[in-house]
Amino acid sequence: MYRYDEFDERLVRERVAQFREQVARRIDGSLTEEEFTLLRLMNGLYLQLHAYMLRVAIPYGTLSARQLRQLALIADRYDRGYGHFTTRQNIQFNWPRLSDAPDILELLADVEMHCIQTSGNCIRNVTADHFAGVAADEIEDPRPTAELVRQWSSLHPEFSFLPRKFKIAVTGSAEDRAAIGVHDIGLRIVRNEAGETGYSVLVGGGLGRTPMIGKTIRAFLPRAELLSYLEAILRVYNLEGRRDNKYKARIKILVHELGLEAFTARVEEEFAALAGREIDVDAEEVARIAAYFAPPAYEDLPATSAAFEEAKRDPDFARFARTNLFPHKIPGYTALTISLKPIGAPPGDATSDQMRVMADLAERFSFSELRVTHVQNIVLPHVRLDDLPALWAALVEAGLADANVGLITDIISCPGMDYCKLATARSIPIAQEISKRFADADREALIGKLGIKISGCINACGHHHVGHIGILGLDKAGVENYQITLGGDPGDRTALGERLGPGIDGDQVPEAIERIVEIYLNLRDGDGEDFIDTFRRVGLDPFKVALQPKEAALAAA
Amino acid sequence: MAKRPPLPLILTANALLDGDVVYFTRTGWSRDRAAAFVATDEAGGEALEASLEEAIQDGEVVEPYLIEAGQDHYRERIRLGGPTIRYGAEALNVPL
Amino acid sequence: MPLLDRNGWKAEGFDVVAYADLDAALAAKGPEQKLGVLVPNTIHPRMLAQFQDRLDLISVEFPKHSDGRGFSLGRMLRQQGYDGTLRASGHILPDQFGFALHDGFDEVEIDEAQAARQPVEQWLHARALISESYQQSADGPATIFEKRRAARVARAAR
Repeated sequence: MYRYDEFDERLVRERVAQFREQVARRIDGSLTEEEFTLLRLMNGLYLQLHAYMLRVAIPYGTLSARQLRQLALIADRYDRGYGHFTTRQNIQFNWPRLSDAPDILELLADVEMHCIQTSGNCIRNVTADHFAGVAADEIEDPRPTAELVRQWSSLHPEFSFLPRKFKIAVTGSAEDRAAIGVHDIGLRIVRNEAGETGYSVLVGGGLGRTPMIGKTIRAFLPRAELLSYLEAILRVYNLEGRRDNKYKARIKILVHELGLEAFTARVEEEFAALAGREIDVDAEEVARIAAYFAPPAYEDLPATSAAFEEAKRDPDFARFARTNLFPHKIPGYTALTISLKPIGAPPGDATSDQMRVMADLAERFSFSELRVTHVQNIVLPHVRLDDLPALWAALVEAGLADANVGLITDIISCPGMDYCKLATARSIPIAQEISKRFADADREALIGKLGIKISGCINACGHHHVGHIGILGLDKAGVENYQITLGGDPGDRTALGERLGPGIDGDQVPEAIERIVEIYLNLRDGDGEDFIDTFRRVGLDPFKVALQPKEAALAAA
Repeated sequence: MAKRPPLPLILTANALLDGDVVYFTRTGWSRDRAAAFVATDEAGGEALEASLEEAIQDGEVVEPYLIEAGQDHYRERIRLGGPTIRYGAEALNVPL
Repeated sequence: MPLLDRNGWKAEGFDVVAYADLDAALAAKGPEQKLGVLVPNTIHPRMLAQFQDRLDLISVEFPKHSDGRGFSLGRMLRQQGYDGTLRASGHILPDQFGFALHDGFDEVEIDEAQAARQPVEQWLHARALISESYQQSADGPATIFEKRRAARVARAAR
């Protein structure tokens, strides 16, 4: 993991002191609320419906046991004993006091964490593949790149007051687990014909009111030119991005309105003007950062484990092993996902006790390292197969052994109107009801891979557009109303879901999902075809009856 | 300024230091909805509008706005009552 | 309107004309005249390239503290070689003062009401709170990346 040097440390400490003074100047009246709002958002502090909310950055989702323990302490001391892991690999506390925020930042700085740019119209926390350093199909660990981008973008004097927020994601793998196609900039580490590594650069993707998939602006950018190229893109966006309409202010609209060709020409012009400015760092600095992400001290192990195979005779363990493990590139190891989606609970929440348990287990079984996924789960990235039985037993004891990763109850949900001021409807209760509806583990296994994503407003924090089943909550004349989309996909074949039909009431949603699933099970090819593949094959039409009254749907079937 | 909602009116906001939902009582701000001053006539409505303007200017509370006292929109219900879900340790023992 | 730089309040020292009047003002410019122009933040800095050598001041409008176009304008004007005085004029906060200086601005102009709320001490103090920067600055300090490189070189020399 990256560790701060004296400069990183000083900057974060100074930022804490600066925020403390900003809070004091708001309280003494030097700053108006409008002025202060801009400043507090840049440090991740929102005002929600009932309280402030503090969003803590977990850069590229990598977390140490020590850091997670500190988050648990903050949850206990300054919040209500829990935190919420977000779709951008961050954690949010829902109940802090404004006057406590500086002290919380101090505790975060003690473990090399911060809230810098977790909100505001600036370059947000950089995200990356949660299986970085684990996946066998990886050309290169994306985290050194993400860390470099984090540093370059922190308190950037030119790009801290952009037209709108700006999100960058990095992947180093053939399979895209970082959803780079729906980010303002998506970076994929690639190799050219000469065998050099560089970046394929996507620009102008994003969800929200006008979802768009990113377009390739450079098929191969030499790695040494990364920062100056990013600077050129950001400069064109800062100058020309729309500021007259919040919903048209993201870079995707600028790219769309100018057209990719004209946008690219402007970027290349600014890029040429930046040549020789020494924005880019030298190879030694790249190597210095990369060294922090060197592989841990793996043991030489056989590819299979007798203890693991033996334990699989327990059907519950076997089920867990089928759903919650991801192949590790090192023989004898695996990456284990801890589901934060127990049946009927708010997706992505963890109590302080659970955080401490996960921190302990990371220390015992995973070189003290954890990852936060954009699916709102936690990963122990480097677990010995031999240790799985003991680790699983500990998870069972802590109530953290739900075997549903990638399945229909592994639901992504934004906080929705139970917390969020921007929400137009609630999300969490919808997720809870669907989860309870599909609680039968055998049936869930039969249904197979199916991602439901729920947003409580058009801003799409729940990524509903790219859910295999997407649910969007709206306010229809004073009643919560939910629109269902099908066929979205966040991965390599990035696709936006198609509207199934008119919106429905919240209490009808579980039944509608049930019918969609039934239609899928009837249509799928053999036992193995995933929902998304069936959808791609048959299209939207066969699913439309799912929204009709039950009798009509039966008659049509 | 946004159009004034219909009478009867109350003025609400969030407290600066802890973000709690507060209601204007004419002598200050209260966390108790029942203590809110309710403007039932035009004169009261204008007085509340003036109080809203003053609240925006002096910044004692955050994001003040007027709501129709009698309305029952789910947003205001949730705002008044808190999250409709259980959270934290309580959320982990959900009856199925 | 109140004017300040990294040393405190200061007096106006330029004849500042609107961008629309720039051609006429340049044509009529006297030999001793200190001429400045107030430009909207919607122009591309290249549009000033042909005039910049004859301008003593370029004042960039900051219509709202949330509108950051001026920061790019400042940095780009310096990068294209403008070496006169650069001013940020409008709604900009003490907390943005350091950014403005890093981007090549020399001074800030705000309205009376803001100056009353945010006296010059707050500006000078706010600026000093952050001493490190990953990005290059027009006003001097080495970047964190440069400091690391210097430390590497020093270590290698030992």
